[in-house]
Amino acid sequence: MTSAPSNIKPQTSNVALRIVDLFVGGVFIYAGAIKAHDPLRFAYDVDNYKILPWAVSVRLAFYLPWLEIVCGIALIFRFLYRGGLSILIALSLIFIGATVAAKARGLDITCGCFGHVSQHWSFPLHLAIDLAIFVPLAALLLIELFPKPAR
Amino acid sequence: MLRQALIIAALALAPAIGQAIYFHDRVSWHSPVPASEMVTVDQARAWGANAIWIDARPDADYAREHVPGAISLNEDRWNELLPGLLTVWSPDKKLVVYCSSQSCNASREVARRLRDEAQLKNVFVLDGGWEAWLRKK
Repeated sequence: MTSAPSNIKPQTSNVALRIVDLFVGGVFIYAGAIKAHDPLRFAYDVDNYKILPWAVSVRLAFYLPWLEIVCGIALIFRFLYRGGLSILIALSLIFIGATVAAKARGLDITCGCFGHVSQHWSFPLHLAIDLAIFVPLAALLLIELFPKPAR
Repeated sequence: MLRQALIIAALALAPAIGQAIYFHDRVSWHSPVPASEMVTVDQARAWGANAIWIDARPDADYAREHVPGAISLNEDRWNELLPGLLTVWSPDKKLVVYCSSQSCNASREVARRLRDEAQLKNVFVLDGGWEAWLRKK
């Protein structure tokens, strides 16, 4: 009887982590599906950053959405979990870097992160959403790599 | 972790390749807009009354300033604004779509929808957009 209360906290934190997994995974599946639905529009969005030649942008536009979808599924089902997390963290860092670089160069960018919905997002909103996605991803990976020892 | 990441990267490749094959004929793989569909400010001006200028920027930008005589047609209010364009359109007219700058996307997207959805011909994207027009003003 006395051991029951001590189990509540770890179980609660596990549930909370699963909720974060589901939420972040769902966000990436949604974002990937929107872009996979219209890869040509996404190719233009990638091209807007003026970092890559068009030939690369258009090929990435076909690949990145599916990468996001597969990573999102990996988070939700905890299948290839660490691999999915590490890719999404790398992608988020690239998005943040590209957004800041575009702003610094005075480009009028459409991030394309969430299709037409994100067409008129301002730079601070771009950055805030990128960071809002990056922080839970980084936290999930840290918790996965360095779990608290069971008492 | 690296092995897992590589497996995921490989898994994503399969649907991406399938989709790229499906879209193969509909995508320009070497340049974003074929040169034949771009037009410079000078060329568009030379068309005179034969050109219909289309402002693909958001309403607020259009309200602030636009190319004289330009019609607003943005994706936010596509269904609402398209009929207005169709009332002045005729097959002999050339449509010149512009957005804010070289790096913006709206003009290419509006031009694509005019061709694909409205089935209009002679649709061109203004090279350099509104900024280019301002420079040549």
